[in-house]
This record gives sequence, structure tokens and C-alpha cells, in this order.
Amino acid sequence: MLPALIALHVAVAVVLPPLAVRLGPRVFLVAAVPLLATAGWALLQLPGILDGRPATASVPWAPELGLVLDFRLDALALTMVALISGIGSLIFVYAAWYFSASERALGRLAAMMVLFSASMLGVVVTDNLLALYVFWELTTVCSFVLIGHSDHRENSRRAAIQALITTAGFGLLMLIGFLLLGQAAGTYRISELVADPPTGPLVPLAVVLVLAGAFAKSAQVPLHYWLPAAMVAPTPVSAYLHAATMVKGGVYLVARLAPGFADTGPWLPLVLSFGLATMVVGAWRAMRQDDGKLLLAYGTVSQLGFLTVLAGAGTPISGIAVVAMLLAHGFFKSTLFLAVGVIDHQVGTRTMSRLSGVGRRMPVLATAAAVAAGSMAGLPPLLGFVAKEADFEVYLPGHHPALSVAGSSAVLLVLALGSVLTFGYSARLWWGSFTTKAEVAERRYPSAGPAFLAPVVLLAAACLLPGLAPSLVDPLAQAHAATMPHAAAPDYHLALWHGFSLPLLLSVAVTAAGLVLFANRERFYRLQSAAPRWPDAEVAYHLFVHAVYSTALGVTRRLQTGSLPLYLTVILGTLLVVPGGWFVWSLASSGLHVPMSGGDWRLWDTPVQLVLALVVGVSAIAAVREERRFPALLLLGATGFGMCGIFVVHGAPDLALTLILVETLTMIILIFVLRRLPARFASGARRVGWPRRLTAVVCALAGIFVAGVLAASTYARSLPPASVGYWEEAEHAGSANLVNLILADFRAMDTIGEITVLVTAAVAVASLVVANRRTGGENGGDEGNGAAKPVMARNEPVIGREGHETSTGGGHGSG
Amino acid sequence: MTVLVALPFLLPLLGAAVTLLISRWPRVQRAASLLTLAAVTANAGLLLAETADGTVISSQAGGWPAPLGITLVADPLSALLVLVSSVVLLIVLLYAIGQDVGGLSRGNPDVFHPVYLVLTAGVGLSFVAGDLFNLFVGFEVTLTASYALITQAPTRERTRASMIYTVVSLISSILFLTGIALVYAATGTVNMADIADRLATVPGDLRNVLGLFFLVVFGIKAAVVPMHFWLPDSYPIAITRISAIFAALLTKVAVYAIIRTQTLLFSRDDITDVLLVFAIVTMLVGILGALVQDDVNRVLSFALVSHIGYMIFGLGLVGVPGGHDDAGVAGLTGVIVYLVHHIVVQATLFLVAGLIRQYVGNTSLRSIRGLASVSPALALFFFLPAMSLAGLPPMSGFVAKLALFQAGLEQGGPLAYAGVAAGVATSVLTLIAIFRIWVRGFWGTPSQAIVAAQSALSSGTGRFGIRWMTATTGLMVATGIAVALLAGPLTEIGTVAARELISGEAYRTAVMSDSVVAP
Repeated sequence: MLPALIALHVAVAVVLPPLAVRLGPRVFLVAAVPLLATAGWALLQLPGILDGRPATASVPWAPELGLVLDFRLDALALTMVALISGIGSLIFVYAAWYFSASERALGRLAAMMVLFSASMLGVVVTDNLLALYVFWELTTVCSFVLIGHSDHRENSRRAAIQALITTAGFGLLMLIGFLLLGQAAGTYRISELVADPPTGPLVPLAVVLVLAGAFAKSAQVPLHYWLPAAMVAPTPVSAYLHAATMVKGGVYLVARLAPGFADTGPWLPLVLSFGLATMVVGAWRAMRQDDGKLLLAYGTVSQLGFLTVLAGAGTPISGIAVVAMLLAHGFFKSTLFLAVGVIDHQVGTRTMSRLSGVGRRMPVLATAAAVAAGSMAGLPPLLGFVAKEADFEVYLPGHHPALSVAGSSAVLLVLALGSVLTFGYSARLWWGSFTTKAEVAERRYPSAGPAFLAPVVLLAAACLLPGLAPSLVDPLAQAHAATMPHAAAPDYHLALWHGFSLPLLLSVAVTAAGLVLFANRERFYRLQSAAPRWPDAEVAYHLFVHAVYSTALGVTRRLQTGSLPLYLTVILGTLLVVPGGWFVWSLASSGLHVPMSGGDWRLWDTPVQLVLALVVGVSAIAAVREERRFPALLLLGATGFGMCGIFVVHGAPDLALTLILVETLTMIILIFVLRRLPARFASGARRVGWPRRLTAVVCALAGIFVAGVLAASTYARSLPPASVGYWEEAEHAGSANLVNLILADFRAMDTIGEITVLVTAAVAVASLVVANRRTGGENGGDEGNGAAKPVMARNEPVIGREGHETSTGGGHGSG
Repeated sequence: MTVLVALPFLLPLLGAAVTLLISRWPRVQRAASLLTLAAVTANAGLLLAETADGTVISSQAGGWPAPLGITLVADPLSALLVLVSSVVLLIVLLYAIGQDVGGLSRGNPDVFHPVYLVLTAGVGLSFVAGDLFNLFVGFEVTLTASYALITQAPTRERTRASMIYTVVSLISSILFLTGIALVYAATGTVNMADIADRLATVPGDLRNVLGLFFLVVFGIKAAVVPMHFWLPDSYPIAITRISAIFAALLTKVAVYAIIRTQTLLFSRDDITDVLLVFAIVTMLVGILGALVQDDVNRVLSFALVSHIGYMIFGLGLVGVPGGHDDAGVAGLTGVIVYLVHHIVVQATLFLVAGLIRQYVGNTSLRSIRGLASVSPALALFFFLPAMSLAGLPPMSGFVAKLALFQAGLEQGGPLAYAGVAAGVATSVLTLIAIFRIWVRGFWGTPSQAIVAAQSALSSGTGRFGIRWMTATTGLMVATGIAVALLAGPLTEIGTVAARELISGEAYRTAVMSDSVVAP
């Protein structure tokens, strides 16, 4: 059923853009359908899950790679589904009234949100690490498009790419971590990994990499910078992705893996240090914000740190606390986001210093927001309070097996400090947004309609009801705690009243301190302004991007010079360094033997060979040194005719004849071409000074290298060559002309290919000539260019033929 | 059944001859051209169906037994590549036809079709050649056709770029020929299966030198750093109509040749470290180049260079001394999946670049702006392959990279880990480079010129052309998605092919004694 539900999301997403043209913003009501279906289905699974029977399904994708979409809906997953599909559908309903019909690309927006919902659903219900990565990155991509929704604005574009690079980049590290874990354990199934965690030298590294990915996704300090920037997205998007669901992906992953890996060396130090730092830094910065949405964004950062600390504990009590806190945060944070969105929508601003009297004009909204803010601050009888009681319970001295009393106390202290700040910014948000301020002029605006407010009120109710009746949430939390291996189920239940306990004391202290903080808020703001700015990793991000670009620029400018002679030198240089280096090394280390003298080694068969070699060599060198075109061409011809001579000496007169014909023809054609070119090579076209000497040295070395390998190869051969077989077959074929037989029979296929080469070149040249005539040289530019191409095209078949003859001739000669 | 092996070469050759003769009737010519490629594709499908289980089919041209005659061989790898390349060639042909019919091209269609089919024949021959010299001929056929294609619609700048392309290709061809001569000197044969047998009698160091020699030869054509300079300097400028084919196929033919020679001929030797070093340098230098380009085609060309590194990396995992054999199979499987993925995705992106050129007149990142609001379809068709190129799931690029990373980690060893690290870094940098195009070119408010171009294109014959081209680009995008969806069967075939490549048993037997060898 789960794959079908995900498919339903995708199918609905596909039809949304055309529907949006007709329905306008109400298209979001259609978009909510798959979410509601999922929520309903998940609710039906609840009894089974509470009994410890998760719903499962599996779709193979690339099983060879371990890439199987295993699905598994258990208590933790169900908690997340409540956020994704439950809260999600309310946000979609809200969006149907939030957007105006003139909003750009509504269809794309709605479709992306549904696709996001499907991906997020995938993240939490999959039981395979690789599949989790797939869905994880899909949420990243959806988030990228959604943050960049207002793509005509520069800051939207920048925030989108920043979020993409940060989360996808660290996501790749996470993938490597997954691969290491999977290879250490021999499975990518999460349930198996957690039940039987692998050990090995690479597992701690894998854990670090996985946590890096999770921290980036969940905006942990110092990688949190992308989240406040992402607030340029429309409010429903921010509420859904960047408060309720996607950013919880990292927390979810930590919670998922903690039961198996909390004992692994680096786990607890990392989770605690990053989580606690995030909680405090986020809350501190939230206190400074004047923009309601940004305040909530930093508040989210802070809460994510808090959640990470809880989820990372890996004890059964933390399982209970995490479920409660995930739900509590999902409810209160989305209520507040939507409330701020309503204000923004109706009033036209969400900057708190410019708002006044909103509470009087919109009392329902103010009440709902008050409930949610109270839940965020941890006040009874709200779910936030119940959850926070459980949270403190996790780190009570002695409750975490790996922490000493001092360690636990320190953690508790920081949690309390973070909670005080949380109280502070919760109060600040509500106070700043809804109260009437004498110094601010009230604006005129229409009040929000009931349909627009309904989701906010419903969500606020969700903050209140489970607080009054914790037994609504407790079974789910217990079910999750029961799935955690390696420990007995704790005797702890979510409740408003646990008696006079340390957590209650802490809650009271936090509330008192929070009240003091709020009362003295002006003094606190001054203190904040005086304090140095926190080091911001956004700077590091920009430094990283800058470093990448300047390295790239430096490397590329040095390498990609545009000089063809240099490129050729580098190619030959590579030939000399790589195979050449190996050759020299193996000669030096006696791995390879090249006979320099002795019975099986003679300099030439006949002295004519020496003469011919000299002709070829000298005329080649002279051709390169020649400044004038005609003499250079003639010298080039001399090398060709020297080759013909070598064929004759080797007893292949017909090959020599062919080559003479080809050479002559080439000369004639080139002479025609040269008629249209200047008599001398352009002075800038040739290299002078040391580049020229370098070219000469490289070419000479390349020649020596090839000759050396040839000598070694010939010496190494112990078996008779294949060409011996041709002699025998030739008699059957009834012909004495071996070259003809090879060309026309044994290797006729090569000949077909070479004829094709020739014809293609001819056709191409003919078409160019025709095109040039037709357009009167408009194509070719100047004369030099027009002429250069046919030369290129014609040269090619010549070399092709030459190559052919050389090879078969070689076979012949050595036979 | 063995006749299927020769058809990837013979069918398009026949088609080329026919289309050359009927160039007076453009419609008939187009139909014949399409028909030929459809037949080639169908044949490739049959070939893959025959070989997917690891069967190797060989066919001796002219009936002369190996090593006297020329052998054509199809194993899972070559059949798979013939299929993928003919699908891509078919779609690009459709695209080019749309451009012609819409009057949006400056090329000369009567020559285009025959030459294009010659190119197809060359590519086909390169994949099924079982003979080193015949492989050279396949390369030459392909290259000559490519020279003919890039000299269509010449301008001064393009001529210069074509010059770089041609000269470097010629150097590579000369070295290739030299290499064949050296191998013949050492073994006395040019039949690849025979060479494989006979090289066993040659000293290991000489085998390594020859192996590295061929690595350089094909490395030039595959644009392995530092032999890559020619590619970004010639592809983006020189090639207009079918740059997709150049980028997608020509370098991959060379990669195929590297795989074939390094496994069949020179395997079980200790030059894998050299491969890994080449791979790491190629990945990084290539993608750093891509980051600082301000032209879509140049970004794509540098990214192409960079991603060749991934394939060399996977190949470098085969037969690391003391390594796991399974990791070698996994690495080679990764390479095969990557090849298929990259052929399709690179072709798609170059088709998109061609469409951008239709809208904007060029592909400079300075002048494109807000394309997403001008053409949502174009935006989608860029976004999906861009994700794939960056290796984001669920696209084919992710599957390919997953396979390679898995293999690298399984192999272990400092260079394998360094390769994985370089691969990760390259992925991130590819993401930055490719989404830079998206952010700068597709987002934002479109300029007046682009809006004007769009309204000009939405009327007259141009409208048909642009719609047709967009639709065929969509077809290519769909092909890429199909590659991702079929990742299961693809990795299975890849594994079969990889095992077969590493052992080489079936290949040698099929060529030397038996025309069909079942696994």
C-alpha cells in the first residue's frame, strides 16, 4: 500500500499544473487529497503498530546494488507520517486561501509540494539506507525548487542554491557513510542494522559521515545558515518544509539509528555538542529577530538542536521523549508559522515593530497563537509541557548509561538554559505580533476568513488536546520505545503530573527564569547588541564557494591555453611519461630486455635501408624547419617517396606503387591549394625559442621510444605471425598476389571501411565546394579558411590509406 | 544468428549508400534514413536479447577463420552499447530532421543523412570489432564522418575549432596505428582474442608498456586529462547540428576501446594504479574547468571530460593487486552502467543546449535568462538530466555513481579511497556547475530578446520545428528516465558483462574456435 500511496502523490502532482489554470489557489485542496489518504491509511495501521507489528512492503529497483525500496511503517515512522500527511494536509488547505490567483506558477508550486510530501513520506517509511538516501535527496531537490519559487528575486535564487549545495553536499558524505555501514554489516536494511550493529574499523567514520549529513539537513550549527535564508519561500512552504517536516529528516535519522549506534565512539559527543550548541545559538539569535518568520526560523534551528540531543540519546526514555517532542514541535511550530502567515497576508507585514492591535482585530488567531506559543515555551497543560518533562527525564543523572552524573548535569543545565531562551522568544513573538503598542500606528486591513483560520485553529487544538490527555500520544511513544533493542522498556509514561520530581522543578525554574528574562527583555537586547556576533558558517560557505571558483579559475586558465602545439606537446609528453616512463624503468630494473648487439640483432638487411632511412629522416627534419610552403611540401613528398623505397626493399612493389600514386596525387592537390596561400608560413604560426626546442626534443624522444618498444616487442615474440597462415590459404584461393588477397579477401572488411572513408571525405568536400559556390564564400569567411578545410578533409583518406598499407605491409614483410 | 553481429556496420552503410543516391528527394531520404536507424536499433535489441545472459557471438567475415580473417564479436557489453547508441542516434536524427523541416538549420541536408549513417556504421563497427586493426578502421570511419559533419556551415571560428579537433584526432590515429604495429611485432597477430592468448608469452613489463601505450591512444579520444585540452576547445564551437552525438558517443567509443583493450588484452597487470591516478586527475581538473565557463556548451564539455574520469576510475578497480575480485566486477559493472547513463544524459543536455540556441541565438550564460518562464517544457527537460548528471537520485546518474562508490569502498586501498573522495568532490562540484546554469539561465526574468525570439518561434514553420525538437528532446529525457527505471536489469547485464570481460574466456573461445559460446 505504501508504494501505491507514494505513486498516488506523484500522479496527483502531474495533474496539478493543468488543474491550477482552472482552479487557481483552490488547487491545493486537490493537492491535499493524497496526503489525507495517506493519513487515513496510516491511522488504520495504528492498532497493528501499537502491537508491534509494522506494515511492510518492498519494491526491488536494482537489487544487485542493494537498492531495494523496502518500506516499513513503525511507531517512529507513524509519528513522522502524522507530521507529513496530517499537518501537511492542513497546511495545504491553508495554502488554498493563502495564495492569490495571481501568484506565479501556482501549478508548479502545488505539484512540487505534493512531490515533496511523497519524498518525505518515502524518507520516513523506508527501511533501506540507500532508498532513504534516494528520498532524502528528492526532498532536497523539491526544497531547492520551492525556496526558489520567487525566482525573479536574487535572494530567492541565492538561498535556493545555498540550501541545495549545503544539504546535497553533506548528503553525499552521508551516502558514503551509508555505504560503509552497509558493507560492514552486509545489509542496507535499517531494522537489521539497528538490531545487529556492525563493528569494524570504518564504522566510527561511517557514523561521523552519516551524522554530518543529518546535521546539515537538520540545520545544526554551524550548518544552520541555509535555513533562515530559506525563509524567502512562501509561508506555507516554510511551514511545511522548513518547520514541520523536512528539517526533521536529520532528527528522524538520528532517532532511527541511535538505538544501534549510540554506543559507537563518536556518536554521543557529536550529537550532544552539536545539538546543545545549536539549541543555544538558535534561541539566542531568535531573541534578536524582528521579523516574525525569521524569529520562528531561528527558533526552529534551536528546537532542532534540542531534538537532536533527545534523539541521539538512544535510550528507551529518549524514544518516548522524541515521539512526544516531534509531535509537539510539529504542532506548535506550524501553528505559529501559519499564524504569522495570516498576519503577513492580511496586514501586509510581519515585522513585529510595525504591528499593533492585531490581537484585538483577530482574537481567534491570537488565541490559537497563544496556545501554540505556550506549548513552545513549555507551559502546562499543553503538549509542549508534557514533552519537555519527558525530555528532562532523558538526561536526569543516572538515566543515560554512558554519561556520568557531572556530564548529565551539564547537559541538563544547557537544556534548561536553552529552554529559558525558548520561553523568551516565544513570549516575544506573541507579544510583538498581537499586542497593541501605543507608539505604532494601527493599519487597516480585512480580517481573515474562517476557512483561512480553520487550519490554524485545528493545529492549535492539536497543541492542547494531547496535553490535556497525554494518553492520546503515550501509546505511540511507548510503542516506539518498545521497538528499541538492548534495553528493557522503561516505566515512564507521558503525563501532566509525575509528582514532585526534578523535571517539574526544572520546568518551574525555566518558567520563572523565562518570565524574568521577558520582563527584562530590553536590557537583554542591549546585552545582545553589545555581545560579539557569533561566528557564522555562512562566511565559511562563501569562503568555500569562493575558494572553489578561484582554484577552478587558476587551474583552468593555466591549463586551457588554446594553443594547439602546446596540446600536442602535452599529449606526446604523456606518452613519454606514462608508457615511456614504464619502459625506461623496466629496462633499468632489468624487467625487460632489449638486445643491443649479438647474433640475433643486425642493423640492416641491406645498406639501401640506411640510405632510405636517411632520406626520410633528413627530409622530415628539413620540412619542419622550412619557412616557405612550397619547399616544405616538396620535402614532405620526399619522406613519402622514401617510404615507397622501403616497401620496395621489403619486396612489396605493388604497395610501393599504390603509395607513389597516393603521394603524387596528394602533392598535386596540395600544390593547387598552395597556389591560393601566401608563399611563407605566417610568422606567428610557428613556435620559436625554447618552445620550439621542447617540441623537437619531445618529438625526438617519442621516436626513440617507439623504436625502442618496437625492438623490444620484436625480440619478445616467440610465436610465428598470423601472416604465415596467408601463404597456405593463398594457394587454396588460387592467387599468388598476397597483397591483393589480403585487401580483397582476407581483410576485405577493412577495405570496405577504408573505401567508406574515402567516399565520405569526397562527398563532404564536394558539398563544401558546392556550398561555397552557392553562397559565394559567405560561409567560408576569408580565402585562407575556405581553402583550409578541403586540405583537412583530403589529408585524412590519404593517411587512412597509408595506415592500411603500412600495417598489411608490415605483416607481409615480417613474414 | 551470427549475421546479427555484422548488421550494426552493414545496415547503416547500406543506408548511407541509398540515402546518398536519393538525395534529390528529401522526404524519401529522410524516411530511408529513419528506417535504417530503426532497423539498426531493432537489430541491436535482438543482439542484446541474444547476449544478455553472457553469450558471446562471433562472426568471421568472409568465412576466413580467426586470426586470418576479420572477426566481429558481440558480447553483452558491445550489444548493450550498440543498442544504447543506436537509440540515441535515432532520437538525435529525429531532432535534426525537425530542425531541417522547421528551417532552423544552416546545414546541407542531402549530405547530412548519408554522412550521419556512415557515422552510425563507424560507431557500430567499433563496438563489434574483434580485430585491433578493424577497430582502427571503425574509428577512422567514425572520425571521417565527424570531420565531414563539423565542417558543415563553416565560419572562421568554427574552422579553427575543427582544426584542433581534426589535428588531435589524426595524432591519435597515428599513435593508434603505431600501437597496432607494436602489438603485431610482439605477438604476430591483430586479432584481439589471439593477441590476448599470445600476450601471455610476452614479458609482463612489455605488456604493461603496450597497455599504457593504448591507454594514451584511446585516452586522447576519450579526453582523459591531460590529453583532453582539445575537447572543450573544439566541441562547443565547432559542432552545431549534432553536437549531442559527438559528446555522447564519440568519447564513449574510446572509453569502450579502453575497457576492451585493458580487460581483454592487458588485464591482470599492475597498471591499475596508473588508471586510478588518471581517473582522479580527470575528474577534478575537468569539473574545475566546468565551474568557470560562461557558456552552456563549454560547461557541458568540461563536465563531459570530468565524468570520463568516473569510468576510468571504475576500470581502475579491476584487478588491483591483492584486491577483491568481486570489487573488480562491481567496478566494471559501475563503468558499464555509467557509460549507458552518460551517453543518454550527455546527449539530452546537448539537445537542450541546441534548443537554447534556438531561443537565444547563442548559449552564453550572459545572455540566457528566465528560460523557465519562456518554455516550461524546456526547463523540465534541462532539470531532469541536470539532476542525473549531478548524480542526484532517482536519476540514472545516481545509480551509476552508487555502483562506482560501492565498488571503490569495497576495493579499499589508498588510491581507491582517494578515487571515491574525488568522486564525491566531483559530484558536488558538478552540482554547483550544472545548477549554476539553471539558476542563471532558467530562473529570473527573461530578457526582451528572449521573449521576442519566443514569439517569433511560435509562428510559421519555426513553430513546427521548435515543437518537434522539444518533443524529441523529451523523448531523450524519457530514455534517460527509462535507464533509471531499468537500473535493475541494467546492473544485471552489467554484472554479467563485467564477469565475462574479466575472465575473457567466453570471448576468446567464441572467436578462436566456436562461433557462439553460451555462459
